Amino acid sequence: MPQTVREYTGSIRNTVKSFWHGLSITLSYLARRPTTVQYPDRTPMPVRDMLPPRYRGFLEVDTAICTGCQACERACPIGCIQISLEKDPANPKQRVVTQFDIDEAKCMFCGLCVEPCPTGSIQHTREFEATQRHIRNLVFRWSDPLKPFPVYKVDKNAEYYPRVPLGSLVRARLETLAWDRAAPVFLPPEPAGAAKPAAQPKVAAAAAAGAAPAKAAAPALKAAPTNGAPAAEKPAVVAPVGAPAADGVKAPAPAKAPAAEQAAAEPAVTLTPETK
Amino acid sequence: MEKLILRRVDRQNEEMILNFGPQHPSTHGVINFLVETDGEVLKRATPDVGYLHRSIEKIGELVGYPGFMPYTDRVDYVAAMFANEGYAIAVEKLLKLEVPPRAQWLRAISCELCRIASHLVSVGTMVMDIGAFTPMLHGIRERETINDLIEALCGARLTYNYHRIGGVAFDLPEGWRDKVLAFLDHFDKFLVEYDRLISFNEIYVKRLANVAVIPGPMAVNYGLVGPNLRGSGVDWDVRRDMPYGAYPNFQFKVPVGKGYFGVSGDSFDRYYVRCLEMAESSKIVRQALESLPEGEITAKVPRNIKPEAGEALSRVESARGEMAYYVVSDGTNKAYRVRVRTGSFTAMSVIEDISPGLMVADLVALISSLDVVAPEIDR
Repeated sequence: MPQTVREYTGSIRNTVKSFWHGLSITLSYLARRPTTVQYPDRTPMPVRDMLPPRYRGFLEVDTAICTGCQACERACPIGCIQISLEKDPANPKQRVVTQFDIDEAKCMFCGLCVEPCPTGSIQHTREFEATQRHIRNLVFRWSDPLKPFPVYKVDKNAEYYPRVPLGSLVRARLETLAWDRAAPVFLPPEPAGAAKPAAQPKVAAAAAAGAAPAKAAAPALKAAPTNGAPAAEKPAVVAPVGAPAADGVKAPAPAKAPAAEQAAAEPAVTLTPETK
Repeated sequence: MEKLILRRVDRQNEEMILNFGPQHPSTHGVINFLVETDGEVLKRATPDVGYLHRSIEKIGELVGYPGFMPYTDRVDYVAAMFANEGYAIAVEKLLKLEVPPRAQWLRAISCELCRIASHLVSVGTMVMDIGAFTPMLHGIRERETINDLIEALCGARLTYNYHRIGGVAFDLPEGWRDKVLAFLDHFDKFLVEYDRLISFNEIYVKRLANVAVIPGPMAVNYGLVGPNLRGSGVDWDVRRDMPYGAYPNFQFKVPVGKGYFGVSGDSFDRYYVRCLEMAESSKIVRQALESLPEGEITAKVPRNIKPEAGEALSRVESARGEMAYYVVSDGTNKAYRVRVRTGSFTAMSVIEDISPGLMVADLVALISSLDVVAPEIDR
């Protein structure tokens, strides 16, 4: 692009001028207080207390005032709430909530379930810090299946519903339970033909057969035979052990591997936490 | 100088095809560009979209009418209010609902705040793409205040889900109005400071003026909308020309690109139109807060929303231009079809025809001046 000398020097002058304009603004910020805050240890108070009251954090259910109307379950667009109602065997007129699960890992915090609740039992709290090692620990089970809670009878004349302080229930759970605790086990639906008790000894036998020639390779395998018996109660513990057992067998004893691997792999698949 | 470079290129035959993206920070999301270069000069840049397709339109057919509202946040997460509003207006047209005036005013306030926030990101990232980092932080700092305000209003900072079919979810919180007015006073000063900081910086202007010019007729032919269209000198704004909601009650100007430092329709015009629009949005919020009527914030909506069979189209002026929702009902509680028309998708189509002859660095200026947001392209 052809340029005269005047244009050339003019643009140099303008550049220096506008450069100074920009730098003077930037320099003025050196003397001001910083806008940023060091999270989480330098905040003046816990961040959850600095959030506005309408903040949509973890969902909390006060089971004392839950009417069991399932309006929140119907409103949820992704279906992360599951509620089951049953009749109380002791008192047939009383209905009890046997299951009230909210999968906070799936929840998109839209707030649609809060709006139809007649008593304000389900609410968003200001809790948002809940790191968990296992994603299944983010399923909040508000009803203990062994001790289902009875539904709340709405008093038409009541002016308000007695609710525990918002967030206290979620916080109690998050603070008392360790973040890296073992995940709960939701057993997969049992296939009709599968004979589980028969499969369990096979795991132990297969693992023992694999472990005998390869003692040095798999010290972890030793746990497998001993765990075989209580596996019925604690399948989640066995499943991770069972999976390396199959790998350990493969390397040292290729001749025995096909039979042992098949037996070991089968129950391992049915028991991994990912399968439902 | 120019001839010399070309001769050398010809001798060595340096034509090559490069993949620009999908994980390049300047593509503003997950977009891929197939760039055919001849040295530093582009032969063509072909956008390859679809990496962020989440089938939101299909989800609209599978969940009920109220349940689709949080999904509309995800259509354009930088300016989620407009997607909420567009869908709400479309379903209200199906239901033949009358929205109470206070709800319409609240919609306008929240949308204009959201427009300011979105444009702050747009101009900030554009400046950063050109090579200046500081102004982006200034923009993000102001946006943070708006995020705090909107968080106090509706409880979320990004995926607001504030509008409902028939109104809005919440009324103004206590003391919110004064906070907004205090912010706007500060913001008007900030805009002047921002212009001094970067907009009229000689290097920045020289870098953008006369680069990637989209003439007005071409912008219309390609279906560009919003600031991209107005940057090309076409005076069209849905808020003014096809008014909806509370907008007929407000006085505002529609800034149009006049070729501030070069030709009308160049990258600088598209950039500066956004800066001017932020000032206009600030005016609209002030007027709306002043004339906010009392009353209900939601109309009487049936609990189970089942519109009669029919179709409705709503057009709203989003931060990225005109956003249209086309909802078809077959009389059940789920939509038969939901279609979203967004500005970013058409903005991508113009790149292929503008890019020949551009320098590689100017392609970044073109993409960022079009202000595309990847999830809005793919839905």
